[in-house]
Parts: sequence; structure tokens; C-alpha cells
Amino acid sequence: MLAPPLYELRGATRSFRLGNSTIMAVDSMDVALDTEEFVALEGPSGSGKTTLLQLLGALDRPSSGKVFFEGRDLAALSDGELAELRLRSFGFIFQQFNLLTTLTAVQNVEAGLAPLGVSAGELRERSLAMLAEVGLRDRAFHLPSQMSGGEQQRVAIARALLAEPRVVLADEPTGNLDSKSGADVIALLTDLAARHGTTIIVATHDAGLAARAPRRLTMHDGRLVGDEKNGKKAKTTEKR
Amino acid sequence: MAVLAIAAFVRSVFYLGYLSSELLRRKGRTILTLLGLALGVALVIVITSLSHGLDQAQKTALNPLSSIGTDLTVTVQPDGAGGAFANRTVSTDLSTLGKAGQHFSYDTFSSGSQTTFAQSQAKNVSSISGVTKIATGLTLTVTHQEGKVPKISTQITAGGQRLNVQGQTSPPTAAEMAKMASCLAKQEKSSSSSTTTTTTPSPQQGGSLTGGQGGPGQFGGSAAMRKCMPASMRRFSRTVTTKKQTITKNVKTPKTNIKTSTYTIGGVDTSRTDMGLITAAQVTKGRFLSKKNAREALVANSYASSHKLKLGSTLTIKKTKFRVVGLVQAPLGGQSADVYVPLTQLQTLSGQKKQINVVLVRAGKSSAVGTVQKKIESSFPTAQVASAKEEAAQISGSLVTASDLAKSLGLALSIIVIAMAIMLAALLTLSSIAKRVREIGTLRALGWSRRLVIRQIAAESLAQGIVGGAIGVVIGIAATAVINSFNLSLSASSKAAATTTGGGFRGFASNAQTATQSATSQVALHAPLAGSIILIGFALAVLGGLLAGATGALRAAQLRPADALRQVE
Ligand SMILES: Nc1ncnc2c1ncn2[C@@H]1O[C@H](COP(=O)(O)OP(=O)(O)OP(=O)(O)O)[C@@H](O)[C@H]1O
Ligand SMILES: [Mg+2]
Repeated sequence: MLAPPLYELRGATRSFRLGNSTIMAVDSMDVALDTEEFVALEGPSGSGKTTLLQLLGALDRPSSGKVFFEGRDLAALSDGELAELRLRSFGFIFQQFNLLTTLTAVQNVEAGLAPLGVSAGELRERSLAMLAEVGLRDRAFHLPSQMSGGEQQRVAIARALLAEPRVVLADEPTGNLDSKSGADVIALLTDLAARHGTTIIVATHDAGLAARAPRRLTMHDGRLVGDEKNGKKAKTTEKR
Repeated sequence: MAVLAIAAFVRSVFYLGYLSSELLRRKGRTILTLLGLALGVALVIVITSLSHGLDQAQKTALNPLSSIGTDLTVTVQPDGAGGAFANRTVSTDLSTLGKAGQHFSYDTFSSGSQTTFAQSQAKNVSSISGVTKIATGLTLTVTHQEGKVPKISTQITAGGQRLNVQGQTSPPTAAEMAKMASCLAKQEKSSSSSTTTTTTPSPQQGGSLTGGQGGPGQFGGSAAMRKCMPASMRRFSRTVTTKKQTITKNVKTPKTNIKTSTYTIGGVDTSRTDMGLITAAQVTKGRFLSKKNAREALVANSYASSHKLKLGSTLTIKKTKFRVVGLVQAPLGGQSADVYVPLTQLQTLSGQKKQINVVLVRAGKSSAVGTVQKKIESSFPTAQVASAKEEAAQISGSLVTASDLAKSLGLALSIIVIAMAIMLAALLTLSSIAKRVREIGTLRALGWSRRLVIRQIAAESLAQGIVGGAIGVVIGIAATAVINSFNLSLSASSKAAATTTGGGFRGFASNAQTATQSATSQVALHAPLAGSIILIGFALAVLGGLLAGATGALRAAQLRPADALRQVE
């Protein structure tokens, strides 16, 4: 009995209708991803990276085809079940950080776990510990507007990892950062992922970063045009 | 239970913190939303209180009959039955008042255009089917005159004329007659023009005088005749002087300090307090007349203030002292009076024992009023039957304007204000949510369920509604208090109020109050703050805010998280 792969996409398609034309943001993708430490998703602007991450993170449903997460067809799950999945299994990191602007750093981290219904004390404790892990214990009560971009993204990382998700989906997490803080963020992300046993899927334009990834997916016009695993071409369609 | 509540609180600490951060850190928007809500609530409270106050003012003033528990009034016009005390003008013979310079005080009663009739006739009205209750009343106008008896300014002296009275003696002989004739002919020749006639002055006044009227050639009248008369006859001719007499006549208005005032007085059936010319409901200070038929009076507020009467003051009516036991807000209309005393007291004072001039009728059902009115009219052809509606139509003034305004505008205005307040709150909430779509997308990405997102945003709106509503309640109460402190008063006057005609001295055109009075009642506009109004205003703010928040959140949460996240701020 083989355990199901982390993700399995079968002809996954996400199209957008704009007037008369239809944009195939993700076009019939077939790919399987295992629990791996680091997946890089490359491709030019508009190739469909963000759209794919949204399908993987259950933020969106495919127009056609199927997306399986740990063997479960995401399309078959209710909104509530998808929310539960996002809460427990997925963590998101955005290019714009997407912190809640009126909340302090620690409150932002707490927002990633609050729906689980843990007590206020435990929530605060775990959030502060997580902030300490990203090196921002002393910034816990600062507002996002009082922090640098790199610091904000580290708060977002703490928030994404607090619920100990199976997967962290990061969409150009360094896109808004200078190279130094970008490198710091990536180092932090990979380090934490290794320690928490979390799979990280990063959409990036940074070829250097992609080169360091054990798994490299390349997209073009919604299609998967490259799939390398440790420098070798991966068999993306293993039918079972 | 307590443990569960604490657990629930502990779990909600984060959400409460989020809520307060959201409201406190977006100060501008929060203040704007709060102000909008508060203004709406305050306006709702003020407008509702005002229209409530107008309503109350209306009930006391604009519905004169209903306020005294009456549907119909039955009166009789003077030319109809021709009662014993018909419309008349009061005239006073000053000379009967006393010696000149003496102080006098005099009250006369008149029934005006409402003829009095026997109290026993009221029973006939009560026996008409559909009539459930009747009350009787006597409304009179009192003309009060007070001052010093004036000196008469003009005296005319009459009489004192000298008159020739021809004593009747034996007739003259033929010789005497011939002698007289020749003498007369001689006289006529010598002075033909001067000795023709002698006219006896006839008195203009004096009544009983019977003066001889001299004419040409009349026997014994002229000087020529006297000359030619035989001595025997001349002896009998003697002069009488009429008795001198002085006749007084009011040629001009004598200069006096007499003050004439009129007021209306109502004789109230004190056997019941809920129906009559005035009822216990109109008492604003003091108490209603006791059933003991005592010498007690109720005074209308307006009359009391203009005549400086208070509770306990003494009112003298026709030398009888009455104690003021209550102040009343007299209803406008034909049956309104300035002073109310027990019916039998007034009947005695005015010399109208067992007489009344109005029967107040209550019909069983309001729908029956028309039928009952027709029945009474047909049973008593001479009677005037007025309905509450007809009485109300006679009333005009700023109160009517205001209440008409309130009726036509008040409701619409309140609705507009409420709608605007809710719309403002809703727009602000919706716009604030529209700006938070990406935030909502982020929350969904973090694993917040739709329900949780909606709950959070609705709770924010609810909190805003509660705070805004509370501020609005405070502003509303303060504004109402300010309005009440202005003591605004509205007037209502009744065109046909005084059906009685004031009396006066005959010839005292300047003093007599012959004009029909129009009763005006000043009604203080008091905007009462009812707990229910405050509650409703508050609830509106809370519900409005909640509704807007929930709708906005529902819409935003309906978006796919992917789409929400793509939204640019
Ligand atoms: N909601 C949408 N409606 C219409 N078209 C969309 C929508 N979302 C994405 N697209 C289109 O789908 C295509 C893929 O977009 P996507 O954002 O996935 O590209 P991307 O690879 O992330 O680009 P970038 O590197 O610039 O972020 C684009 O052509 C985009 O215009
Ligand atoms: Mg993208």
C-alpha cells in the first residue's frame, strides 16, 4: 500500500473568461508532489504560478480536472472543510506580506491559529514563541507600519507556521524585499521548514533561489514546461 | 455555566482584541460612522418626542369634545324654543346702583345664543337609543361691572311754563257779547298784525302736562280778547304754573371709572368626573370639584394667569365667594369656559333653577355617533347637535398648523431620517468592508471560515451601533431637554368659541364687549421622552449597523478567497 502523494494534479485547469476570450491561467496540469523539503515554482510573469498556488492552497477550485491533497479531492470538499484544511494543513506567505494592518505583530501571528479555539493564554504564548523563532520577540507589539518589509515578512512566516501546517505556499515571498533581507527570509523559511517537517512551495523569479531547490517546476502559459528533481527530469505522471 | 462562559470569553479574547484594534486604529472612519449613527438616533428621538408632544397637545386642545368624554353636544338656539332666558343685551340703569360716588359691583348673566331649557328635558335625550351617557351643563357669560356710581352730567329742566286756564263761569250776556265784538273789531283795525295769535309754549318734556294750545281767534287766548273781555269774565281768568320737575336723561356717556369685564362660566354636573363641561382629566393643578356641590371653582389656566388666580384664591361671583380648587386646561370649543362651578351653584346664582343650556352626549360606539346625531336632530328639531369632529374643525392656530405639519411631515420625516441614518451607517460600513476585501481574503487564507469572518465584521458593526446609538441617545435626550427648556407654546383658537354675547350698558358702545370672543388656548409644547422612543432609536442604530455590517461581510465572504486576495487596495 503506497501512501498517496502530498499533491496530485490530474488535468487541473483554471481558466478565466474575460469578455470573449478565455485565459488558461493553469492549463491541464498533471503533476505529483511528495513530501519534500523545498519546491520552487518558476516561470515568467503571467505564466500561472499564483493561480497554481491558489489551487494547491484550496483558495480556488479548478475549472476542470482534479487536485488531490493527501488523496482527497479538494473539489469534493465543502467550503467549511476547505477552511479547516487551510487552517490546519496550509500556510500562506504573500509577496505583499498581507499582514492585518490594525493588529500588532503578535496579534497577526495569533490570527493564524485563533479559529482553532485554543485559549487566549496558550495562543499568546505560542505566538510569542513563534515570533522568537523568527527573531522578532522584541517587535511583538509593533504594528506592521512600524516594521521593515523583511520584518513584516518574518511575521507572516511566523503566522504561516504557527499551526504547524503540512505545506507552506509562498508566492514570491522575496519579491518586495532587497536581496539581503530576501536571502534572510529564504534562509529562515528553509530552516524552519526543515525543523517542522513542512513542505515549502515557493513561486519565484529568483533563479538563484530556484537553483537551490530540490524540486524545480517551470511554467509557461499555464502549462508545466519543466520538472526537475535534484537536477534530473522527474516523471511527473505516475499513474497508479 | 460559569466555566463555559469563562471558556467562551477566553477563546474570544483574540476576536475582541481584533475588534477593538480595528475600531480604534481606524479612528476617522469609526468616528464618522458613529456620528452618522448618533445623529440618526438623536433625530429619531427628537422628532418622535416632538410629534408625541404635539399629539398630546392636540389631544388636550384640538379635540375639545373627546377630551371631556363627549361625542355630541346638544344645544338649543334662541329662536327655536324661545327659552326663558333668551339672548339679550344686558343694560343697567345706573341710577339704580346707588348714590353717585358709591362703589358698586354687579354681575349679570346671559345665556347668549344657547337658550336654556329645563334640566328634565335631558332625560329625553338619554332615552334615545345609542346614547350611553349624558351630562348636563350650563354655560353662561358673566358681565361683571365694578366701579363708582357716576354723576349724571346732563340735566334738563322742564315745566315751569305759565299757562292760562280759562275758568268756566256763566256765559256772557248778549249786550256783553256785542260790546266785546265791537271792541275786538276796533282792536283788529288798529293793530291787525300784532295781535292775532298767542301761542302757549308747549313743553317738550314733562309728560303729564296738558297745555292749552292757543290758536287764532281761540277763546281767551289773545291779548285783544283779554282787553275786550267783560270784567266778570276777566276775574275768572287766572294763571297757573305747572309743577317744576327735573328729568334725568343719559344724553352722553357719563364719565365714570366703571370697569366692565366678561368671562364665561360653566355649571358643571359634579356627579361624574369623566364627562361634563370639564372633567378630572383637564385638571392640571389642584383637584376636581367635589361632589358636595360646594362653593368651589375650577379656573382655566389662561384665565387664571391673566387674572392672577391661584389655587386657594377666592373668586366672587354675584357677591358669592368661591374657592379656586383646581386649574384646568379648558377644552376649546363652544362649551369652553373660563370658570367652572358646580351646576346647581350657577343655576342658583343666575336665577336659572333647574335650567341648563347644553346636554353632552356620549354614544356607545364611535361608529354610532353619526346615527345618534341624526336621531337626536330628528327628535328635537330645535336642537343643535354638534359632533366632536365638527367642533375640532372649528379650531385653528399654530398648534393646528404644527400638528398638521407633524401629521403630514412628521412620519415622512422620521422615516427619511431613520432611512438616512441607516443608509449612512450602511454606506460607511460597506465602503469600509470594500476596502477590506484583501484583508478578508487573507483571513480566509489563514483558515477563517466564512461564518467566522462574517461574525467578526458584524461584531464590529454591532459595537459601532451600540456606541453610536448610545451617543445618539445622549444627544437626543440633551436636544429634547433643550427644546423643552425653550418652553415653546403653540396656540389653538376656536372660531365659534364664545357663543354668548357679552353684555354692556346700553349706549356704552365703547365699553361693551359685544364682539364674539374667540377662545385661544396656549398649549405648551412639551416633548416627552419615552423610554420606548429611546429604546427604539437605539435599537435602530444597532440593527441598522448590524444589518449593514452583516450584508457587507456576507458579500465579501462570498468571494472566492483567491479573488479576494487579488483585489488591490
Ligand atoms: N481573476 C482573474 N481574472 C482574469 N484573469 C486572471 C485572473 N487571475 C489570473 N488571471 C490571468 O491568469 C494568468 C496567470 O496569472 P498569475 O497571476 O497566475 O500569473 P503569475 O505567474 O503569478 O504572474 P506574476 O509572476 O506576474 O505574479 C494571467 O494572464 C492573468 O492575467
Ligand atoms: Mg503571481
